[in-house]
Amino acid sequence: MAAVLLAGFVCVWKLQERVDAERTTLQLGNDELSLRSPAVMKKLSLEYAPLLGAIYWTRAVQYFGGKHQAHDQNLDQLWPLLDIATTLDPNLLVAYRFGAMFLSDAPPRGAGQPDHAVELLQRGMKANPVYWRFYQDLGNVYYFDKKDYLKASQAFEAGSKLPNTPPFMKIMAAKIAGEGESLETSFALWLDIYRTSTNQDMRKNAEDHLRLVKMEMDLRAINQIADVYEQKTKQRAKRISDLAQAGLLAGQPQDPDGFPYVLGEQGKAEPNPKSPLREEWLKEKKQRSNELLK
Amino acid sequence: MRNIQTVAANTFREAVRDRVLYNLVFFALLMMGAAILVGQISIGIEQDVIVSLGLTAISVIGIFIAIFLGVALVSKEMDKRTLYALLAKPVKRREFLLGKFFGLVMTLTVNTAAMAAGLYIALWTVKHPLLKSDAYILVAVYLILLKLALIVALALLFSCFTTPFLAILFTAGMYVAGLFAADLRTVHGVDIDPGALRLMRGISYLLPNFQNFDVMGAVVHGRGVPSVIVWQATLYAILYITIVLTGAAVVFSRRNLK
Repeated sequence: MAAVLLAGFVCVWKLQERVDAERTTLQLGNDELSLRSPAVMKKLSLEYAPLLGAIYWTRAVQYFGGKHQAHDQNLDQLWPLLDIATTLDPNLLVAYRFGAMFLSDAPPRGAGQPDHAVELLQRGMKANPVYWRFYQDLGNVYYFDKKDYLKASQAFEAGSKLPNTPPFMKIMAAKIAGEGESLETSFALWLDIYRTSTNQDMRKNAEDHLRLVKMEMDLRAINQIADVYEQKTKQRAKRISDLAQAGLLAGQPQDPDGFPYVLGEQGKAEPNPKSPLREEWLKEKKQRSNELLK
Repeated sequence: MRNIQTVAANTFREAVRDRVLYNLVFFALLMMGAAILVGQISIGIEQDVIVSLGLTAISVIGIFIAIFLGVALVSKEMDKRTLYALLAKPVKRREFLLGKFFGLVMTLTVNTAAMAAGLYIALWTVKHPLLKSDAYILVAVYLILLKLALIVALALLFSCFTTPFLAILFTAGMYVAGLFAADLRTVHGVDIDPGALRLMRGISYLLPNFQNFDVMGAVVHGRGVPSVIVWQATLYAILYITIVLTGAAVVFSRRNLK
């Protein structure tokens, strides 16, 4: 009897594998949310909304992670999932913070929907009025993704007035108001997230950004040295070693991943073609030139 | 009083014999699975899920026990004809009812306490040491227990005058309706008759308001519950249970058991 049952289950298992394989070819997405109204969801959840909120947050994480892994940039369902999760449990702080990060980051890192990120964070502030981190996150979205430095500064300023807020908020408010976008400000913002986040994923994201910003700062410094070299020798350096030989550089500078920087065709500093950071750098460069064209 | 105690103790013993407490195994497995899984598939909500899942399981399992056993308390005794032997002794009908009520509430208390202990163990495995704010979970567990006692009282009332199947439906219906009691007071609509609005408002106060016992949203995030809410909910439960049990005793004492 036990053998028959076991054999039966093995058959079911194998059959399911076949069914799964066939259904993959149909490309039936499981993205569709059957119920889209967060308010109705809240009512239907009876008194168990917090658990359902956590389940929807997990769904959002799984959805985002799955899409990321599949290199699929269509994240249309991310906002509805976060909308439902935070309506079911308005105190689910993590859903606002990470949700805003997922939404605001430009593709391929995120959904490239900073407006939704702003909406999500503003909703979070309403439900949790003394949680100053939301103001920091809002400031970051305005600063990094919407490039609205006035609103970014205002968000940091508003957050700095809340109880138990570190002085960092007031400093950033003044810095952004005075300088707008600068590599130093970006570095300081990401560094604070890196230092204060207890979550591994958030720290990893901050670390990735820090490496990129650090590289940008290095490239800027090398270019300044190359300009000095050009002024002295009346010709542009062709290699980094030219700068070192001229005594302007102490040695061969390397990016945060340990790859030596190179000089490009026009004598401008670039990441090493073998460096994993180069691809990210090129993407950001392209994005920036697109924004300038706009 | 002694009669009530005897009936209550027997009801508790009977529930244990019926393996009602076996649900604790299911609960333990659920909590262990959640503790292992959630940290790996989600971000930053390990503790939230353990607490909300634990409290939800305590509530849902408790509601099932309260409704199904609550309805069976009287009907089973009648079906087995043991009720007649019992009532032939110097036991009043209201004493029998109260004994049954307290017996099942005792069962639910033991069950809920064991599940709460399981919840704390699961919580301890995902984060230790436990914090002072984790003690708020006990407040939520206490309020769940009050809610379950109220459901038992309702189940007893309905089982006194209708069939077990209908009693289960009525009790479950009252529970769901009670969760929406406050919403009846805030219904808005252009075409709603003012008389109907007044009626809905009246009904909303008559229904058992189960929202009074819901503090899960705060407790899950480590927020405290003001003591006034706990006292009010306790008073509400005592008052409502007294009304329902009095009603049940009146109906049951007038019921023709022949």
